[in-house]
Amino acid sequence: MFEMLFSLVVGFTFGFALQKAGLSKYHKIVNVFRFTDLAVLKFMMTTLAVSMVGVFALNSLGIVALPNIPATYVIGNLIGGLIFGVGMAGAGF
Amino acid sequence: MLKLLRQKEWSPYLAGTLLGLVYVISIAVTGIIPGASGAFENIGGLIAQAVYPDLAKNTYFQFVMPPGITTAVMILLGIVIGAFVSAKLSGDFKLQTVSDPQWKRVFGNATWKRWLVLFIGGIILEFGAGIAGGCTSGLAIGGGLFLAPSAFIFIAAMFASGIPVAMLMYWRKY
Repeated sequence: MFEMLFSLVVGFTFGFALQKAGLSKYHKIVNVFRFTDLAVLKFMMTTLAVSMVGVFALNSLGIVALPNIPATYVIGNLIGGLIFGVGMAGAGF
Repeated sequence: MLKLLRQKEWSPYLAGTLLGLVYVISIAVTGIIPGASGAFENIGGLIAQAVYPDLAKNTYFQFVMPPGITTAVMILLGIVIGAFVSAKLSGDFKLQTVSDPQWKRVFGNATWKRWLVLFIGGIILEFGAGIAGGCTSGLAIGGGLFLAPSAFIFIAAMFASGIPVAMLMYWRKY
């Protein structure tokens, strides 16, 4: 039950950050593929850097255990990513 | 603080920092890597159970993505509410059938065109996410932060197909 409510709060902040970055808008998403607005990449890479430092700092201190990381299966990740990109650039979300 | 919350658009670095902290807190407290696409598969499984139970018995729904109201569904619900509150606070919220000015300029005002592309694009996107094992949030960021190879293969593939599709759609306007 706690996990469910907690996830709702996580999602809330998630959606809040996405909307504030303007990533709920079609042109923000499609323009990253046209190289005219790199907000998506700036946003993604900032998130990556912050979460990477945070999680591994807490992990080194022995506070946080690493969860199961997403599995690598090259063909699946590659083909899935190729299909995903078509949808993302086409629909713009 | 309130002024910041009411701002229409944040710098992507600020919003990215906020989301990065959300990832850290979620992983620290519950061990869950936040993701958006999994929820659709959980809900899809529930629908399959209701209308076509045989389909819900396949390996995918049994082991990979069990149907049900999971934490992923709660995150998705939270995303919708959070984005709504953010848009309301900044006065950015409007109900429109075709909302984007750039789309209108390039592809016109027709509602059916936008909705058709959204619907088909959504199916393609979710299908791809299902095969790859996640989407931009769950796989690219959630895996990338552990330097998982899957995340970087996925990001590269996403751009490798996204760029030509955008080129084709915009053609001379690219």
